Amino acid sequence: MIRPIRVFLLLLLCGPLMSDAPSGRRELEQKVCTIPLSKTLRIPVGTLGAQDTPESLAATPASLMISPGAADEPPDGPRGFDVLDDGSLLITDPLRSRVSYFDSHGEFRKAWKIGFPADSLTVIANGVVLVREASTGKFHTFDREGRARPTQGSALPEQAEARVLTGRSGTVRRPAIGSAPGGLLAVQFDRPGLTLLSLEVLGIDQKGDTYVALETTANGVAETVNLNKYVRRYSSDGSLLCEIADIPLDYYVPPVDELRVHKGMVYQLLTTSSEVRINVWDTNQLCSHLSH
Amino acid sequence: MLPRLLLLFMCIWLISGPHPHAQTGVIARLPPTTRAEIVARAEKLANHTWVCGAANLRASCSKRYLSDWRSGQHVTGLPYRWGGIDGPDEFDRKLEGGLAAGAHSRYGVLKCAAGVDCSGFVSLCWGLPASEHAYGTSSLREIAGKPKYNWYADMKPGDVLNKPGSHVVLFTGYNPDGTIGVCEASSSQARVVCRKSTWSRFKGYIPLQYKGIDD
Repeated sequence: MIRPIRVFLLLLLCGPLMSDAPSGRRELEQKVCTIPLSKTLRIPVGTLGAQDTPESLAATPASLMISPGAADEPPDGPRGFDVLDDGSLLITDPLRSRVSYFDSHGEFRKAWKIGFPADSLTVIANGVVLVREASTGKFHTFDREGRARPTQGSALPEQAEARVLTGRSGTVRRPAIGSAPGGLLAVQFDRPGLTLLSLEVLGIDQKGDTYVALETTANGVAETVNLNKYVRRYSSDGSLLCEIADIPLDYYVPPVDELRVHKGMVYQLLTTSSEVRINVWDTNQLCSHLSH
Repeated sequence: MLPRLLLLFMCIWLISGPHPHAQTGVIARLPPTTRAEIVARAEKLANHTWVCGAANLRASCSKRYLSDWRSGQHVTGLPYRWGGIDGPDEFDRKLEGGLAAGAHSRYGVLKCAAGVDCSGFVSLCWGLPASEHAYGTSSLREIAGKPKYNWYADMKPGDVLNKPGSHVVLFTGYNPDGTIGVCEASSSQARVVCRKSTWSRFKGYIPLQYKGIDD
Protein backbone atom coordinates (compact mmCIF):
# COMPACT_ATOMS: atom_id res chain seq x y z
CA MET A 1 0.00 0.00 0.00
CA ILE A 2 1.24 3.45 -0.93
CA ARG A 3 1.48 5.77 2.00
CA PRO A 4 -0.44 9.03 1.73
CA ILE A 5 2.75 11.03 2.28
CA ARG A 6 4.27 9.40 -0.82
CA VAL A 7 1.20 10.26 -2.91
CA PHE A 8 1.43 13.82 -1.65
CA LEU A 9 5.12 14.05 -2.56
CA LEU A 10 4.48 12.48 -5.95
CA LEU A 11 1.81 15.05 -6.76
CA LEU A 12 4.01 17.84 -5.46
CA LEU A 13 6.89 16.77 -7.66
CA CYS A 14 5.03 15.76 -10.81
CA GLY A 15 2.32 18.41 -10.70
CA PRO A 16 4.34 21.11 -12.44
CA LEU A 17 5.46 18.60 -15.07
CA MET A 18 1.90 17.51 -15.87
CA SER A 19 0.41 20.99 -15.81
CA ASP A 20 0.55 23.51 -18.63
CA ALA A 21 4.21 24.22 -17.82
CA PRO A 22 3.61 27.89 -16.93
CA SER A 23 7.18 28.38 -15.77
CA GLY A 24 8.49 27.59 -19.24
CA ARG A 25 5.95 29.74 -20.96
CA ARG A 26 6.47 32.71 -18.72
CA GLU A 27 9.63 33.45 -20.62
CA LEU A 28 7.64 33.84 -23.79
CA GLU A 29 5.16 36.24 -22.30
CA GLN A 30 5.90 39.86 -22.56
CA LYS A 31 4.48 42.92 -20.99
CA VAL A 32 1.86 44.45 -23.22
CA CYS A 33 0.81 48.06 -23.31
CA THR A 34 -2.94 47.93 -22.68
CA ILE A 35 -5.06 50.73 -24.13
CA PRO A 36 -8.15 51.70 -22.11
CA LEU A 37 -11.41 52.86 -23.67
CA SER A 38 -10.93 56.51 -24.68
CA LYS A 39 -14.53 57.57 -25.23
CA THR A 40 -17.99 56.39 -26.16
CA LEU A 41 -20.25 58.23 -28.58
CA ARG A 42 -23.92 57.57 -27.86
CA ILE A 43 -26.54 57.82 -30.56
CA PRO A 44 -30.24 57.54 -29.73
CA VAL A 45 -32.38 54.82 -31.29
CA GLY A 46 -36.07 54.55 -32.05
CA THR A 47 -37.90 51.24 -32.02
CA LEU A 48 -39.78 50.16 -35.08
CA GLY A 49 -43.40 49.50 -34.13
CA ALA A 50 -45.98 47.38 -35.86
CA GLN A 51 -47.93 50.48 -36.91
CA ASP A 52 -44.97 52.48 -38.22
CA THR A 53 -45.12 53.82 -41.75
CA PRO A 54 -42.34 55.40 -43.83
CA GLU A 55 -43.82 58.82 -42.92
CA SER A 56 -43.82 58.21 -39.17
CA LEU A 57 -40.24 56.95 -39.35
CA ALA A 58 -39.14 60.17 -41.04
CA ALA A 59 -40.29 62.18 -38.00
CA THR A 60 -37.15 61.37 -35.95
CA PRO A 61 -34.26 61.82 -38.38
CA ALA A 62 -31.51 62.14 -35.75
CA SER A 63 -32.01 58.69 -34.30
CA LEU A 64 -31.23 55.28 -35.73
CA MET A 65 -33.94 52.66 -35.98
CA ILE A 66 -33.98 49.20 -34.42
CA SER A 67 -36.50 46.39 -34.63
CA PRO A 68 -36.90 44.19 -31.53
CA GLY A 69 -37.74 41.13 -33.63
CA ALA A 70 -39.60 38.27 -32.00
CA ALA A 71 -39.11 34.63 -31.03
CA ASP A 72 -36.99 33.14 -33.84
CA GLU A 73 -36.34 36.51 -35.45
CA PRO A 74 -33.39 38.33 -33.84
CA PRO A 75 -33.36 42.13 -33.46
CA ASP A 76 -32.33 44.18 -36.46
CA GLY A 77 -30.83 47.62 -36.87
CA PRO A 78 -27.50 49.32 -37.63
CA ARG A 79 -24.85 46.72 -38.52
CA GLY A 80 -22.44 48.66 -40.68
CA PHE A 81 -20.30 51.74 -40.20
CA ASP A 82 -17.05 53.41 -41.13
CA VAL A 83 -15.03 56.50 -40.30
CA LEU A 84 -14.31 59.39 -42.67
CA ASP A 85 -11.01 61.29 -42.80
CA ASP A 86 -12.13 63.97 -40.31
CA GLY A 87 -13.35 61.36 -37.80
CA SER A 88 -17.01 61.74 -38.70
CA LEU A 89 -19.06 58.57 -38.94
CA LEU A 90 -21.32 56.92 -41.46
CA ILE A 91 -23.73 54.38 -39.98
CA THR A 92 -26.22 52.21 -41.87
CA ASP A 93 -29.88 52.62 -40.90
CA PRO A 94 -31.39 49.68 -42.81
CA LEU A 95 -34.91 49.89 -41.42
CA ARG A 96 -35.20 53.33 -43.00
CA SER A 97 -33.18 52.49 -46.13
CA ARG A 98 -30.66 55.20 -45.41
CA VAL A 99 -27.14 55.96 -44.21
CA SER A 100 -26.80 58.45 -41.35
CA TYR A 101 -23.93 60.89 -41.07
CA PHE A 102 -22.64 61.91 -37.61
CA ASP A 103 -19.78 64.25 -36.77
CA SER A 104 -16.80 63.13 -34.71
CA HIS A 105 -18.72 63.97 -31.50
CA GLY A 106 -21.64 61.76 -32.47
CA GLU A 107 -23.96 64.64 -33.42
CA PHE A 108 -26.35 63.88 -36.27
CA ARG A 109 -25.63 65.95 -39.39
CA LYS A 110 -27.62 64.45 -42.24
CA ALA A 111 -28.95 61.27 -43.78
CA TRP A 112 -28.44 59.82 -47.23
CA LYS A 113 -31.64 58.36 -48.64
CA ILE A 114 -30.09 55.46 -50.49
CA GLY A 115 -33.34 53.61 -51.17
CA PHE A 116 -32.33 50.15 -49.92
CA PRO A 117 -31.46 48.51 -46.58
CA ALA A 118 -27.68 48.40 -46.17
CA ASP A 119 -25.78 46.17 -43.76
CA SER A 120 -22.18 47.22 -44.41
CA LEU A 121 -20.24 50.20 -45.70
CA THR A 122 -16.61 50.90 -46.36
CA VAL A 123 -14.85 54.19 -46.98
CA ILE A 124 -12.21 53.62 -49.68
CA ALA A 125 -9.75 56.03 -51.29
CA ASN A 126 -10.73 59.64 -52.05
CA GLY A 127 -13.76 59.59 -49.78
CA VAL A 128 -15.61 57.09 -51.98
CA VAL A 129 -18.04 54.99 -49.97
CA LEU A 130 -19.06 51.46 -50.89
CA VAL A 131 -22.44 50.54 -49.41
CA ARG A 132 -23.62 46.92 -49.42
CA GLU A 133 -27.29 46.20 -50.08
CA ALA A 134 -28.38 43.76 -47.37
CA SER A 135 -30.88 41.78 -49.43
CA THR A 136 -28.62 41.19 -52.44
CA GLY A 137 -25.03 41.60 -51.25
CA LYS A 138 -24.47 44.06 -54.12
CA PHE A 139 -22.24 47.09 -53.57
CA HIS A 140 -23.34 50.62 -54.47
CA THR A 141 -20.94 53.55 -54.73
CA PHE A 142 -21.48 57.01 -53.21
CA ASP A 143 -19.33 60.08 -52.78
CA ARG A 144 -18.92 61.62 -49.33
CA GLU A 145 -21.91 63.87 -49.97
CA GLY A 146 -24.11 60.83 -50.47
CA ARG A 147 -24.45 61.15 -54.22
CA ALA A 148 -24.62 57.88 -56.15
CA ARG A 149 -21.61 57.26 -58.37
CA PRO A 150 -20.82 54.61 -60.98
CA THR A 151 -19.65 51.46 -59.22
CA GLN A 152 -17.24 50.54 -61.99
CA GLY A 153 -13.64 50.67 -60.79
CA SER A 154 -14.56 50.81 -57.09
CA ALA A 155 -13.54 47.77 -55.11
CA LEU A 156 -13.05 46.80 -51.50
CA PRO A 157 -9.40 46.84 -50.43
CA GLU A 158 -7.85 43.41 -50.48
CA GLN A 159 -7.71 41.88 -47.01
CA ALA A 160 -4.45 40.52 -45.66
CA GLU A 161 -4.55 36.76 -45.20
CA ALA A 162 -4.59 35.51 -41.62
CA ARG A 163 -4.07 31.97 -40.40
CA VAL A 164 -4.44 30.37 -36.98
CA LEU A 165 -1.69 27.78 -36.52
CA THR A 166 -2.23 26.61 -32.95
CA GLY A 167 -4.22 27.70 -29.91
CA ARG A 168 -1.40 30.14 -29.17
CA SER A 169 -0.14 31.32 -32.50
CA GLY A 170 -0.98 32.46 -35.97
CA THR A 171 0.32 34.45 -38.89
CA VAL A 172 -0.74 37.40 -41.00
CA ARG A 173 0.56 37.83 -44.55
CA ARG A 174 0.98 41.57 -45.04
CA PRO A 175 1.23 43.25 -48.42
CA ALA A 176 3.93 45.89 -48.96
CA ILE A 177 2.49 49.32 -48.16
CA GLY A 178 4.41 52.60 -48.61
CA SER A 179 7.90 52.12 -47.23
CA ALA A 180 6.88 49.03 -45.23
CA PRO A 181 8.10 45.86 -46.94
CA GLY A 182 5.25 43.58 -45.88
CA GLY A 183 5.80 39.87 -45.28
CA LEU A 184 4.72 37.41 -42.66
CA LEU A 185 3.71 38.72 -39.22
CA ALA A 186 3.86 36.21 -36.37
CA VAL A 187 1.06 36.53 -33.81
CA GLN A 188 1.79 34.92 -30.47
CA PHE A 189 -0.94 34.63 -27.83
CA ASP A 190 0.43 33.11 -24.64
CA ARG A 191 -2.14 33.51 -21.90
CA PRO A 192 -2.63 30.73 -19.39
CA GLY A 193 -6.09 29.19 -19.68
CA LEU A 194 -6.95 30.94 -22.96
CA THR A 195 -6.99 29.58 -26.50
CA LEU A 196 -6.70 31.62 -29.67
CA LEU A 197 -9.73 31.05 -31.90
CA SER A 198 -9.47 33.44 -34.81
CA LEU A 199 -7.47 36.25 -36.38
CA GLU A 200 -8.80 39.10 -38.48
CA VAL A 201 -6.77 41.88 -40.03
CA LEU A 202 -8.57 45.18 -39.45
CA GLY A 203 -6.16 47.36 -41.37
CA ILE A 204 -2.60 48.31 -42.21
CA ASP A 205 -1.63 51.99 -42.05
CA GLN A 206 0.86 53.91 -44.18
CA LYS A 207 3.69 53.19 -41.71
CA GLY A 208 3.02 49.50 -42.09
CA ASP A 209 1.54 49.14 -38.60
CA THR A 210 -0.94 46.28 -38.63
CA TYR A 211 -4.14 46.07 -36.56
CA VAL A 212 -5.28 42.56 -35.80
CA ALA A 213 -8.41 41.35 -33.99
CA LEU A 214 -7.98 38.18 -31.94
CA GLU A 215 -10.84 36.06 -30.65
CA THR A 216 -10.02 33.83 -27.71
CA THR A 217 -11.88 31.51 -25.40
CA ALA A 218 -11.26 30.15 -21.94
CA ASN A 219 -10.26 26.51 -21.81
CA GLY A 220 -12.71 24.11 -20.22
CA VAL A 221 -16.43 23.49 -20.34
CA ALA A 222 -18.89 26.35 -20.77
CA GLU A 223 -22.67 26.38 -21.04
CA THR A 224 -22.69 28.51 -24.16
CA VAL A 225 -20.23 29.93 -26.68
CA ASN A 226 -18.14 32.39 -24.72
CA LEU A 227 -15.19 34.41 -25.87
CA ASN A 228 -13.11 37.53 -25.57
CA LYS A 229 -11.91 39.84 -28.27
CA TYR A 230 -8.63 41.73 -28.41
CA VAL A 231 -7.26 44.22 -30.89
CA ARG A 232 -3.50 44.45 -31.25
CA ARG A 233 -1.32 46.95 -33.05
CA TYR A 234 1.92 45.60 -34.47
CA SER A 235 4.70 47.74 -35.91
CA SER A 236 5.99 47.13 -39.42
CA ASP A 237 8.92 45.14 -37.96
CA GLY A 238 6.45 42.78 -36.27
CA SER A 239 6.79 43.93 -32.67
CA LEU A 240 3.67 44.21 -30.56
CA LEU A 241 3.01 47.88 -29.75
CA CYS A 242 -0.19 47.74 -27.74
CA GLU A 243 -3.39 45.85 -27.10
CA ILE A 244 -7.05 46.57 -26.40
CA ALA A 245 -8.53 44.00 -24.06
CA ASP A 246 -11.81 45.48 -22.83
CA ILE A 247 -13.99 45.08 -25.92
CA PRO A 248 -17.60 44.43 -24.90
CA LEU A 249 -19.41 41.78 -26.93
CA ASP A 250 -22.96 42.10 -25.60
CA TYR A 251 -24.45 42.96 -28.98
CA TYR A 252 -28.21 43.44 -29.29
CA VAL A 253 -27.78 43.63 -33.05
CA PRO A 254 -24.58 41.77 -34.07
CA PRO A 255 -22.63 44.04 -36.41
CA VAL A 256 -21.25 43.21 -39.83
CA ASP A 257 -18.67 45.98 -39.48
CA GLU A 258 -17.70 45.28 -35.90
CA LEU A 259 -14.40 47.16 -35.69
CA ARG A 260 -12.80 49.89 -37.78
CA VAL A 261 -9.39 51.51 -37.59
CA HIS A 262 -8.64 55.09 -38.60
CA LYS A 263 -5.44 57.05 -37.84
CA GLY A 264 -4.54 54.79 -34.94
CA MET A 265 -8.01 54.98 -33.42
CA VAL A 266 -10.01 51.76 -33.08
CA TYR A 267 -13.79 52.12 -33.33
CA GLN A 268 -16.43 49.57 -32.36
CA LEU A 269 -20.10 49.58 -33.39
CA LEU A 270 -22.18 48.34 -30.48
CA THR A 271 -25.93 48.45 -30.98
CA THR A 272 -27.84 47.91 -27.74
CA SER A 273 -31.59 47.93 -27.17
CA SER A 274 -31.49 51.56 -26.02
CA GLU A 275 -28.76 53.25 -28.06
CA VAL A 276 -26.02 52.81 -30.61
CA ARG A 277 -22.59 53.13 -29.02
CA ILE A 278 -19.41 53.88 -30.87
CA ASN A 279 -16.59 52.85 -28.54
CA VAL A 280 -13.23 54.45 -29.34
CA TRP A 281 -9.74 53.44 -28.24
CA ASP A 282 -6.76 55.65 -29.07
CA THR A 283 -3.72 53.48 -29.75
CA ASN A 284 -1.59 56.58 -30.43
CA GLN A 285 -1.57 57.56 -26.76
CA LEU A 286 1.43 56.92 -24.57
CA CYS A 287 1.17 53.69 -22.72
CA SER A 288 0.04 54.10 -19.13
CA HIS A 289 -0.76 50.51 -18.30
CA LEU A 290 1.42 47.47 -18.80
CA SER A 291 0.03 44.01 -18.27
CA HIS A 292 0.87 40.40 -19.04
CA MET B 1 -23.84 -9.50 -2.02
CA LEU B 2 -25.38 -10.11 -5.49
CA PRO B 3 -28.88 -8.81 -4.64
CA ARG B 4 -27.32 -5.68 -3.14
CA LEU B 5 -25.34 -5.05 -6.31
CA LEU B 6 -28.42 -5.62 -8.39
CA LEU B 7 -30.33 -3.12 -6.25
CA LEU B 8 -27.51 -0.61 -6.61
CA PHE B 9 -27.50 -0.92 -10.40
CA MET B 10 -31.26 -0.52 -10.49
CA CYS B 11 -31.04 2.62 -8.38
CA ILE B 12 -28.38 4.08 -10.66
CA TRP B 13 -30.50 3.22 -13.71
CA LEU B 14 -33.55 4.87 -12.16
CA ILE B 15 -31.83 8.10 -11.19
CA SER B 16 -29.64 8.43 -14.29
CA GLY B 17 -31.77 10.90 -16.21
CA PRO B 18 -34.99 10.66 -18.14
CA HIS B 19 -36.52 7.36 -19.00
CA PRO B 20 -34.84 6.13 -22.16
CA HIS B 21 -38.17 5.38 -23.81
CA ALA B 22 -39.45 8.94 -23.28
CA GLN B 23 -37.76 10.26 -26.41
CA THR B 24 -37.31 7.04 -28.31
CA GLY B 25 -40.49 7.55 -30.31
CA VAL B 26 -39.54 11.02 -31.51
CA ILE B 27 -35.94 10.10 -32.22
CA ALA B 28 -36.89 6.89 -34.00
CA ARG B 29 -39.16 8.81 -36.33
CA LEU B 30 -36.46 11.34 -37.30
CA PRO B 31 -35.41 10.91 -40.92
CA PRO B 32 -31.76 9.84 -41.01
CA THR B 33 -29.48 12.01 -43.08
CA THR B 34 -25.78 12.46 -43.77
CA ARG B 35 -23.79 15.64 -43.20
CA ALA B 36 -23.13 15.95 -46.93
CA GLU B 37 -26.87 15.86 -47.60
CA ILE B 38 -27.48 18.56 -44.97
CA VAL B 39 -24.93 20.93 -46.47
CA ALA B 40 -26.19 20.21 -50.00
CA ARG B 41 -29.74 21.15 -48.94
CA ALA B 42 -28.45 24.35 -47.33
CA GLU B 43 -26.60 25.33 -50.49
CA LYS B 44 -29.65 24.56 -52.61
CA LEU B 45 -31.76 26.93 -50.48
CA ALA B 46 -29.06 29.62 -50.55
CA ASN B 47 -28.55 29.32 -54.32
CA HIS B 48 -32.21 29.12 -55.28
CA THR B 49 -32.91 31.86 -57.81
CA TRP B 50 -36.27 33.52 -58.33
CA VAL B 51 -37.77 36.69 -59.77
CA CYS B 52 -40.06 38.88 -57.72
CA GLY B 53 -43.23 39.69 -59.64
CA ALA B 54 -45.45 42.69 -58.97
CA ALA B 55 -47.99 40.42 -57.26
CA ASN B 56 -45.34 39.11 -54.86
CA LEU B 57 -44.76 42.60 -53.42
CA ARG B 58 -48.16 42.57 -51.69
CA ALA B 59 -49.57 40.38 -48.95
CA SER B 60 -53.31 39.99 -49.31
CA CYS B 61 -53.72 39.16 -45.62
CA SER B 62 -51.82 42.20 -44.27
CA LYS B 63 -52.48 45.86 -45.01
CA ARG B 64 -49.27 46.98 -43.31
CA TYR B 65 -46.99 44.64 -45.22
CA LEU B 66 -43.93 46.16 -46.89
CA SER B 67 -41.84 44.00 -49.19
CA ASP B 68 -38.05 43.64 -49.05
CA TRP B 69 -37.98 43.40 -52.86
CA ARG B 70 -38.58 45.32 -56.05
CA SER B 71 -40.73 44.24 -58.95
CA GLY B 72 -38.72 42.29 -61.49
CA GLN B 73 -35.81 41.85 -59.10
CA HIS B 74 -33.70 38.71 -59.60
CA VAL B 75 -32.85 37.23 -56.23
CA THR B 76 -30.55 34.43 -55.13
CA GLY B 77 -31.61 32.73 -51.89
CA LEU B 78 -35.04 31.73 -50.62
CA PRO B 79 -36.65 34.75 -48.91
CA TYR B 80 -37.01 35.02 -45.15
CA ARG B 81 -40.55 34.46 -43.90
CA TRP B 82 -41.15 34.43 -40.16
CA GLY B 83 -42.88 31.14 -39.30
CA GLY B 84 -42.19 29.74 -42.77
CA ILE B 85 -40.85 26.36 -43.83
CA ASP B 86 -41.22 26.34 -47.62
CA GLY B 87 -38.73 24.33 -49.62
CA PRO B 88 -37.69 25.54 -53.10
CA ASP B 89 -40.48 23.74 -54.98
CA GLU B 90 -43.21 24.81 -52.58
CA PHE B 91 -41.87 28.36 -52.60
CA ASP B 92 -41.92 28.51 -56.41
CA ARG B 93 -45.52 27.25 -56.42
CA LYS B 94 -46.57 29.90 -53.93
CA LEU B 95 -44.72 32.61 -55.80
CA GLU B 96 -46.49 31.55 -58.98
CA GLY B 97 -49.77 31.71 -57.08
CA GLY B 98 -49.16 35.38 -56.24
CA LEU B 99 -48.21 35.06 -52.57
CA ALA B 100 -45.92 37.65 -51.02
CA ALA B 101 -42.17 36.89 -51.18
CA GLY B 102 -41.04 36.75 -47.56
CA ALA B 103 -42.24 38.55 -44.41
CA HIS B 104 -40.94 39.68 -41.02
CA SER B 105 -42.32 39.09 -37.55
CA ARG B 106 -43.65 42.64 -37.26
CA TYR B 107 -46.44 41.60 -39.66
CA GLY B 108 -47.21 38.37 -37.78
CA VAL B 109 -47.13 34.89 -39.29
CA LEU B 110 -48.52 35.53 -42.78
CA LYS B 111 -50.23 32.63 -44.51
CA CYS B 112 -50.31 34.75 -47.65
CA ALA B 113 -46.48 34.88 -47.86
CA ALA B 114 -43.87 32.32 -48.87
CA GLY B 115 -40.39 31.63 -47.57
CA VAL B 116 -38.51 30.15 -44.66
CA ASP B 117 -37.36 31.31 -41.22
CA CYS B 118 -34.22 30.31 -39.31
CA SER B 119 -35.55 27.19 -37.61
CA GLY B 120 -37.57 26.23 -40.69
CA PHE B 121 -34.35 26.45 -42.68
CA VAL B 122 -32.49 24.16 -40.26
CA SER B 123 -35.42 21.73 -40.27
CA LEU B 124 -35.35 21.58 -44.06
CA CYS B 125 -31.59 21.08 -44.05
CA TRP B 126 -31.92 18.20 -41.62
CA GLY B 127 -34.48 16.62 -43.96
CA LEU B 128 -37.49 17.07 -41.67
CA PRO B 129 -40.86 17.18 -43.43
CA ALA B 130 -41.83 20.62 -44.69
CA SER B 131 -45.50 19.91 -44.05
CA GLU B 132 -45.34 21.36 -40.55
CA HIS B 133 -43.04 23.80 -38.73
CA ALA B 134 -42.67 21.48 -35.76
CA TYR B 135 -39.50 22.87 -34.17
CA GLY B 136 -38.45 26.39 -33.25
CA THR B 137 -35.22 27.54 -31.63
CA SER B 138 -36.72 26.80 -28.20
CA SER B 139 -37.63 23.21 -29.05
CA LEU B 140 -34.75 22.10 -31.29
CA ARG B 141 -33.21 20.44 -28.23
CA GLU B 142 -35.90 17.75 -28.50
CA ILE B 143 -34.29 16.46 -31.70
CA ALA B 144 -30.71 17.71 -31.30
CA GLY B 145 -28.21 17.11 -28.50
CA LYS B 146 -25.51 19.31 -27.06
CA PRO B 147 -22.21 17.79 -28.19
CA LYS B 148 -19.54 17.07 -25.61
CA TYR B 149 -16.60 17.80 -27.87
CA ASN B 150 -14.63 21.03 -28.15
CA TRP B 151 -17.01 23.35 -30.02
CA TYR B 152 -14.22 25.57 -31.27
CA ALA B 153 -12.35 22.78 -33.03
CA ASP B 154 -14.53 19.72 -33.47
CA MET B 155 -17.92 20.87 -34.75
CA LYS B 156 -18.90 19.12 -37.95
CA PRO B 157 -20.80 20.42 -40.97
CA GLY B 158 -24.52 19.97 -40.33
CA ASP B 159 -24.33 20.87 -36.63
CA VAL B 160 -26.03 24.13 -35.63
CA LEU B 161 -25.41 27.09 -33.36
CA ASN B 162 -28.66 27.84 -31.57
CA LYS B 163 -29.84 30.63 -29.28
CA PRO B 164 -33.21 29.53 -27.89
CA GLY B 165 -35.90 32.11 -28.55
CA SER B 166 -33.73 34.06 -30.94
CA HIS B 167 -31.88 32.48 -33.87
CA VAL B 168 -30.22 29.39 -35.23
CA VAL B 169 -27.59 28.93 -37.97
CA LEU B 170 -26.14 25.87 -39.68
CA PHE B 171 -22.41 25.31 -39.24
CA THR B 172 -20.59 24.38 -42.47
CA GLY B 173 -16.91 24.44 -41.49
CA TYR B 174 -13.87 26.18 -39.98
CA ASN B 175 -11.77 28.60 -42.01
CA PRO B 176 -7.95 28.81 -41.84
CA ASP B 177 -8.20 32.15 -40.00
CA GLY B 178 -10.33 30.52 -37.29
CA THR B 179 -13.63 32.07 -38.36
CA ILE B 180 -16.50 29.78 -39.28
CA GLY B 181 -18.74 29.19 -42.26
CA VAL B 182 -22.48 29.30 -41.62
CA CYS B 183 -25.68 29.14 -43.65
CA GLU B 184 -28.85 30.70 -42.31
CA ALA B 185 -32.23 32.18 -43.08
CA SER B 186 -31.29 35.73 -42.22
CA SER B 187 -34.01 38.25 -41.45
CA SER B 188 -31.60 41.19 -41.82
CA GLN B 189 -30.50 39.97 -45.25
CA ALA B 190 -34.08 38.94 -46.08
CA ARG B 191 -33.07 35.54 -47.47
CA VAL B 192 -31.05 32.36 -47.04
CA VAL B 193 -27.33 33.09 -47.22
CA CYS B 194 -24.06 31.25 -46.63
CA ARG B 195 -21.15 33.28 -45.35
CA LYS B 196 -18.07 33.55 -43.21
CA SER B 197 -18.55 34.77 -39.63
CA THR B 198 -16.46 35.64 -36.62
CA TRP B 199 -17.22 33.90 -33.32
CA SER B 200 -18.27 37.09 -31.53
CA ARG B 201 -21.57 37.03 -33.38
CA PHE B 202 -22.38 33.75 -31.63
CA LYS B 203 -21.62 34.60 -28.04
CA GLY B 204 -24.34 32.95 -25.95
CA TYR B 205 -25.24 30.39 -28.63
CA ILE B 206 -25.27 26.64 -27.97
CA PRO B 207 -23.96 24.08 -30.49
CA LEU B 208 -26.40 21.25 -31.24
CA GLN B 209 -26.08 18.04 -33.19
CA TYR B 210 -29.10 16.53 -35.00
CA LYS B 211 -30.05 13.20 -33.45
CA GLY B 212 -30.94 11.69 -36.82
CA ILE B 213 -27.43 12.18 -38.18
CA ASP B 214 -26.03 9.23 -40.10
CA ASP B 215 -22.28 9.57 -39.53
